Amino acid sequence: MNYFWLSFKAIFFKDIVIELRAKRVLPTMVVLGMLIVWILRISCEAASGSTDIMGPAALWIAFLFAGLLAQERSFTTEQHQDCIYGLLLAPVDVGTIFLAKLLVNIVVLCIFEIIIVPVVLLFFQISPSGRWLDLTIVLLLGNIGISSIGTLFSAIVQFSSSLLSIIVLVILLPMMIPATFALLLLFGAIPEELAGTGALAFVGNFKTAVAYMVVFDAIFAVACWLLFGFVVQE
Amino acid sequence: MRRALFVLTLVIILVSTWMAFTIGEVVPSEANVTVEKNIVYVHVPSAICTALCLVVVLVAGICYLRTGKDQWDRLGAASAEAALVFATVLNVTGSIFARPFWNTWWAPSPRLISSAILWFLCVAYMILRTNIQNPRHRARICAVFGIIAFLDVPMVFVTARLMTDQHIDNVRFETAAQSASFGLSILGIVLLAALLIWLKTDILQSKAKLERDLT
Repeated sequence: MNYFWLSFKAIFFKDIVIELRAKRVLPTMVVLGMLIVWILRISCEAASGSTDIMGPAALWIAFLFAGLLAQERSFTTEQHQDCIYGLLLAPVDVGTIFLAKLLVNIVVLCIFEIIIVPVVLLFFQISPSGRWLDLTIVLLLGNIGISSIGTLFSAIVQFSSSLLSIIVLVILLPMMIPATFALLLLFGAIPEELAGTGALAFVGNFKTAVAYMVVFDAIFAVACWLLFGFVVQE
Repeated sequence: MRRALFVLTLVIILVSTWMAFTIGEVVPSEANVTVEKNIVYVHVPSAICTALCLVVVLVAGICYLRTGKDQWDRLGAASAEAALVFATVLNVTGSIFARPFWNTWWAPSPRLISSAILWFLCVAYMILRTNIQNPRHRARICAVFGIIAFLDVPMVFVTARLMTDQHIDNVRFETAAQSASFGLSILGIVLLAALLIWLKTDILQSKAKLERDLT
């Protein structure tokens, strides 16, 4: 256990320090996120200005694509001078490498969220009406899901030249449904008494939406952690 | 052997189609919608078949990662392709049914979302497969993707079954003839899937052999 913590900390701090010093992806992520949010806000204005409905969509689209940028980096940085082989040859469990990389990606995406969420709230004139803790929970759960799938598949990208990991976002589709509905409920775009009826029945109310996200996160994180060894195997 | 399976499948599909339009015909509640209602004989078997094919993808993925034998990879690839075929049939027949009944081609109802997701997963698998050149990497990565993609399937199906939906409830047939033709159509389409997977596996095997001989 002690050895696990030591190696985990070493990989985690190596990556996070590289990112915070070089700032290779964070600025790109923020610019991309702002661009997405801004374009969606403009199209909202054109369509009679129902901003509270588009806000959550803008938020998740920005997260998905910016998250993709961040996660791509987690293994491409290891390709210089074949660092990846050094990492894999080190007497460290591959699961530890995955968990450390995952935490780095979660932290980077958290920093991005701290920047972009106020922008979305201001642009779209929405607020969680005092339920800031709920908002944080939903965003964090979405973050964990996106990061675990992204981290696993960024390891795949080194075997193929294209931006293949975009296709991997398809796996996240089922989770995005409760995620979007949870935010819609939080921002008051759906009245609470309407939740759980009609097309919204898919997620029911806020609590069930969050429960779905927890289940998806658990499945994705555990499966990715277990399968990571097969992906990097040489 | 394969020719026999082909003939058997063809006969069963023809008989079940004939039954669907004669003795097994679903009694229409409204006029002029008989044809759309009979779509149940293709629509539901396709849904079952897609799920079965994805189970094969999952099993093949696990077996490949455990044993590293190429035949599991080929089986997974063939089943994913069959799953894509039946997922397409599922969504298209669903749309044909939805148009006269709900006056829309697509609506964000739980089951429609879940079948759309199934289709996307199959397409993603195929794209992933064609984009990785090294056969060993391709096999391993496709196995991993197949397993994770399959984890979505039970979630999607369970949520869809538990929720109220504008989609009509699971079919209950009134006459024995209807049940018989329904059972027969499921059998026919499952056999068709098996045949497709078998053929594709053989094609992939010949292709691999050809590539080995050329290099």
